[in-house]
Amino acid sequence: MDATTGIPPAVTEETAAFWSAAQEGRLVVEQCTACGATSFPPRGICRSCRGRETSTAEITDRGVVYSFTVNHQRWLPDLEVPYAMVLVEFPAHPGVRVTGRLRGCPAEETRIGMLVDIGFEPGPGGQAIPSFIAAGADA
Amino acid sequence: MGTEHLERRVVVSGVGQSQIGRQVDRSGLQLTLDAITAAVADAGLRLDDIDGLATFPGGGAANLPGYANGNLYEVQDALGLRTTWRQGIVEGLALPFYGTAQAVATGQARHAVIWRTVKEGSAARNAGGRPAYGSTKPVAEGPLAWLLPVGMLSPVCQVAPYAMRYMHEYGATREQLGWIPVTQRAHAALNPDAVYRTPLTLEAYLESRMISTPMCLYDCDVPADGATAIVVSAIETAGDLRAPVRIEAMAGVVEGRPSWDQWEDMGRVGHGAARAMWERTDLRPADVDVAQLYDGFTIEVVWWLEALGFCSTGEAADFVDGGSRISLGGELPLNTWGGQLSGGRLHAGFGHTAEAVRQLRGEAGERQVDGAQVVALGNVGGFEAGAALLTRW
Ligand SMILES: [Zn+2]
Repeated sequence: MDATTGIPPAVTEETAAFWSAAQEGRLVVEQCTACGATSFPPRGICRSCRGRETSTAEITDRGVVYSFTVNHQRWLPDLEVPYAMVLVEFPAHPGVRVTGRLRGCPAEETRIGMLVDIGFEPGPGGQAIPSFIAAGADA
Repeated sequence: MGTEHLERRVVVSGVGQSQIGRQVDRSGLQLTLDAITAAVADAGLRLDDIDGLATFPGGGAANLPGYANGNLYEVQDALGLRTTWRQGIVEGLALPFYGTAQAVATGQARHAVIWRTVKEGSAARNAGGRPAYGSTKPVAEGPLAWLLPVGMLSPVCQVAPYAMRYMHEYGATREQLGWIPVTQRAHAALNPDAVYRTPLTLEAYLESRMISTPMCLYDCDVPADGATAIVVSAIETAGDLRAPVRIEAMAGVVEGRPSWDQWEDMGRVGHGAARAMWERTDLRPADVDVAQLYDGFTIEVVWWLEALGFCSTGEAADFVDGGSRISLGGELPLNTWGGQLSGGRLHAGFGHTAEAVRQLRGEAGERQVDGAQVVALGNVGGFEAGAALLTRW
């Protein structure tokens, strides 16, 4: 798969674990060692109890599309359009919403409430970006 | 309500603008100087009276070509000022006069100017199209690190999922949203400084090209070149001023999760600021004569109508449907200068504030709302939010 066009992320102390797991096709979020709450994006602090000790937790559940858009505008010279982008939530992880591309169905068939599997694809700057896969069903 | 509210210790004394256009072939510094000198003269002041100077955003804070213009110190030097207060604001500009009002009310300056200068129209022309947000930097930092890599390359992509969700939850339609740009274009026809003044039909709106679903071309504001300056003065100087306008109430509230991708429901982004603003005044939504609501995108107008209480949550699309309520002569004339959709993306509420002041002074020409006493401002999109009421002196 050719890398999608975009602007690469700055990788920081807080986000290195996410981008490194993404290379392996795994979605990891921050988890509080004290209260167990999961959160995204990683901030190095628990947004539930403000505990400063955090680790990572992998999410493998199917996600639900909170909302989406199909972009038609060529914002960068080599950008291929149209493409769908989805905001995905995970019912078992209330603090987590992840934005990514969507594949596995035509862009115009994207719907609020559809189920998606976690996936990644080659993105800008050698990073792997979230790229969810339509699961062919609604939540 | 107490007169102790700090915004009651100040007035908006002057507004001034440079030439405004899709492209204006003069430097950002020259446009800035034009706007500041016009605003100070409009206030009835001399440049030597100015002791506070501010701009949005601070120098160099540009995620888009043409986004930030005029360096604070260069402008001070060019005008030969002496200042006791300065501010370059990158984050936290809830309202154009938010910080200047606080500075003047607390005695740090007596007459403070804030300017906003955009050259985004020229930048888009030079780039052969509207560039990606963040394209001035090699990597995406902070909240943008989760958006630009996956292809959310413009604020329109970022706001679009919330527009989609709103339409899904409340049954709002594109046919309804279209009345916002159509009505504002009719207002722009009466504003000689507006960028686009030829009539826009609902059919043309519906047939225009899609940018990022459900937002089409005419749902987006128009990149422009131009500068706006606003002067805020201490209320005890009112006798020296040509035509001051009162700030009845103002508030800036950011709550929830302030980023384009994490907001629980971006439709409620202005509710906190609006609630805090109404708590500072005895006036009510029914007292408002004119609304100047931030319109980077049409959907933001919908959300501000609801946040400020002009209608209930989920009802704003019905409110704008047909355009009669929001037209000149309607119950709540909206963005009477054309807004950013037709007047030009002067950004961050600067164009809206200039128009609010003109309406309250009776200086809005052919688009004047008869006897305008109270203007509501609902400002900024995304996750920053400010609300204010300006009233006639
Ligand atoms: Zn915790």
